[in-house]
Amino acid sequence: MTVYSEELFKRVFTVYGHNFDTAGETSTEIKSILKGLEIDSDIIRRALVVAFEAEMNVVMYANIGTVSFVITDEAIDIEVADEGPGIPDIEQAMQEGFSTASDEMREKGFGFGMGLPNIKKNSDVLKIESDVGKGTKLLARIRLDSNA
Amino acid sequence: MREITHAFKIDRDKCRGKLACMGRCPTQALRVKDGKAEVISELCIDCGNCLKACPSGAISATTHSLKAVWKNKYKVAVPSPVLFSQFPDGISSAQIIEGLKSIGFDAVYILSVENALVNKAIREFVAQWKGPFPLIPPYCPVIVRLIQVAYPGMIGQLLPIEVQRELAGREAKRKYAKMLGISTDEVAAIHVTPCQAKSISIVEPAEGAKSYLDGGIGISDVYNAILTYAQSSKESESKIPEKDIFFSAEMFQGVLRGQRRNLHGFHYIPLTGLRNVIHVFDDVEKGKMRLVDFLECYACWGGCTNGNLTVDNFYVARSKLHRLVTELPEKSPVIEAEVEKRYSSQDFFLKAPLKPRSIKGDMGNLKERIKRIKEAEAILTTLPGLNCGLCGAPSCKALANDIASGEAKKTDCIFFSKDRLDRLRSIYLTNKK
Repeated sequence: MTVYSEELFKRVFTVYGHNFDTAGETSTEIKSILKGLEIDSDIIRRALVVAFEAEMNVVMYANIGTVSFVITDEAIDIEVADEGPGIPDIEQAMQEGFSTASDEMREKGFGFGMGLPNIKKNSDVLKIESDVGKGTKLLARIRLDSNA
Repeated sequence: MREITHAFKIDRDKCRGKLACMGRCPTQALRVKDGKAEVISELCIDCGNCLKACPSGAISATTHSLKAVWKNKYKVAVPSPVLFSQFPDGISSAQIIEGLKSIGFDAVYILSVENALVNKAIREFVAQWKGPFPLIPPYCPVIVRLIQVAYPGMIGQLLPIEVQRELAGREAKRKYAKMLGISTDEVAAIHVTPCQAKSISIVEPAEGAKSYLDGGIGISDVYNAILTYAQSSKESESKIPEKDIFFSAEMFQGVLRGQRRNLHGFHYIPLTGLRNVIHVFDDVEKGKMRLVDFLECYACWGGCTNGNLTVDNFYVARSKLHRLVTELPEKSPVIEAEVEKRYSSQDFFLKAPLKPRSIKGDMGNLKERIKRIKEAEAILTTLPGLNCGLCGAPSCKALANDIASGEAKKTDCIFFSKDRLDRLRSIYLTNKK
């Protein structure tokens, strides 16, 4: 028998590519919600890092994207779908230090090739699908009991 | 839940409900109910913004009576290095020390060695630390409380090394007890502090353990007595070289330059002023500053020399510190020998691990909590969004949260209740007919 976890809360944010002025707002909002829920501080920390890196990937590389933030009775799911260049070699992109960031992004303090590795490090489940020239879909799951 | 002791108290008779404190509180710990300010104890981080903001003089620093302390057999003052920056030119450090004794202290313990010990411990700790980065030292009690309350996810980034004043308190008690052949309990170590927050960290240490110090007394509390003493004291006392008191410039490097020199070779950022700290912590929390090894933060702009219990102008005081540093040798064999002796045999870690502060009691299970924030969000959409504060909460969002958790009513908002408006009129306009 499959037990489906119950969706308790859902919020969808739109993230605009190349807009560094509003970059980070989505993850700030996610943090505020999780803090209001008095969720374990380490789980909030991990969710925030995942949300921020995923949001920044959209800002840096894509044209537009959505971040869906879902809380179930078991986990926090952060799902990001963007319209952008896609990732040709996901395995390579997962390696620490691999980056295709421009000099401009590096000057802003991003693009050190830690984005996806950090998402992986801070999530319990990570799925990435990418269609080159069209966009990328990412699902990161942080289990609520993973610190118990 | 046990009541937390705080550094400030609100005098309800003096409070005129002007709302200024509420707007300045970084953790939204204040509410103004019926024209009187109230503090939510679990959220207060003892920063003192409210005290500075209050136009009615209703908020004052809690002074902890030292009466009990004076009863001790032997009283040792452990002054913050900032004390020596506060007096006019011509008053020597020796006179300041004698001035402290004139108040009733039996001895004055100078924390030069503790500064050097802590520097060494920090350097070694940072070199072997594997993350998370950046490390944040726990030397400003307000910063520690800010993390416990507002950035609990960063608690693991607090450096677990004890602060100089605490180690000095421990050593002073040990030293004088041994010298006099009495028990350490009979020796009271009292910190002469530049800020209220350090006093409160002695009464209510953030890690929940017992402080090695027995109390704190503000620089501003002892200033006049020391000044009066120094002005009529013997000429010979003014001639004692600073070197014979502090031995090396390490005594003042910390308050003047922080850990910059000590952490040479590491990625080090100093950061002062609570607003600036909060701005940067928002980035740290997102993992944006992982490449920084050490983030030294102080709630007061400019650091402890600008603490709320200091007396002299910040710039003048700093210039005095610069001069003290130039008059002192960089290193001293006396200090180095002490460090050598104590470093291997003593413990420099915090007495207990720091933990996030539990803000609310039982909030129910996840489902109930989610129901509550959904309710708060729904309420928020109906509120005017002016953040005027007349409801008694610092923002419409805070009111929505308070309503959802049963601590406020929607009719607290003047847009929904004429009674509320009349009530406010009677509170604020009674004497203005």
